[in-house]
Amino acid sequence: MARSGGGQAAPSLSWAAHDLEPYAFQRHLKLKVAFVPLLIGSYAPDLATKWFVYGIHLGPWELKASNPAQFHRGWPGFGFTHSLIFGVVIGLLIWKVFDSKLWALSFMIGHAAHAITDTGDTVGTMLLFPWTFHFHLDAWAYAGQTGRFTDAAAYFSGLGGMWDLVWIVYGFFSWRVLTSVYFDNVIYRADAFWPWANRVFPRGALLALYRAAFFYGTSRWIAWTIWAHVIHHYPYDLSWGGPHWVPAAHP
Amino acid sequence: MRLRLLKRLDVPSRSDLLVFAGYCLAAAVYIAIGVAYNDFLLSVVVGMAYLVLAAWLVPAAVRRLRR
Repeated sequence: MARSGGGQAAPSLSWAAHDLEPYAFQRHLKLKVAFVPLLIGSYAPDLATKWFVYGIHLGPWELKASNPAQFHRGWPGFGFTHSLIFGVVIGLLIWKVFDSKLWALSFMIGHAAHAITDTGDTVGTMLLFPWTFHFHLDAWAYAGQTGRFTDAAAYFSGLGGMWDLVWIVYGFFSWRVLTSVYFDNVIYRADAFWPWANRVFPRGALLALYRAAFFYGTSRWIAWTIWAHVIHHYPYDLSWGGPHWVPAAHP
Repeated sequence: MRLRLLKRLDVPSRSDLLVFAGYCLAAAVYIAIGVAYNDFLLSVVVGMAYLVLAAWLVPAAVRRLRR
């Protein structure tokens, strides 16, 4: 049923929730936040690790973690990237290097959102590292060890995909944060990055860039859903911990 | 009474909907390519570059050609 993973594809990031959450936070946080570090923080835990979970081919060599779940979320491994302390440390570094409390705080919020969201699967995250206990709700199966295609099929067949859908619907409900007026009055003014980028790129390009993560997350959710359920007919299993047709990893 | 209710609902304007339609068109193309060639879906850099191309560069080029 499943296609083999680990091809020569480009490194992938995580699923759509991490693209979409920053827009919802942007709408509801009473704190002033900067969107770019919020988004970078939301991507950060998987940035350096996800490619090695799925594996890549470099000429005759295949680089892949022997135990992907352990490498991605565990200790020993890079699981500390999904801990709250990691976000705080990187946030403090950002504060020191860029002298921006706003960027530091925004990064920490985005990073924490990712780390907490990933507690939804069967492996969970070591939120309170160096305590190596995995917080996990077991709502959907962690299947990174099966390769990117089976993982995608499993994720979009279970409650993980439905969790992404919640963020998509919520994003559309918060549609005002995607308008050009909101971009001009809130996003652009909140962060010196945008005026700086505007010296090189016109406003239209920056507006498209601001909307890009929402576009990417939503479009990718639809595309993977069509791929998994229309093209390949993977069965939906919306039971807790599902889909049960894939071997789920555990801490 | 009914008008008041509509006012309370946050409804997009015609120009908002036009922009949304443009993004939907760009999304339809992105999804079609992504379903056919999965690698296209895997990189956030490719996704963002595609949107900047489709939502800004192409319309800007068309506007310039029309002048």
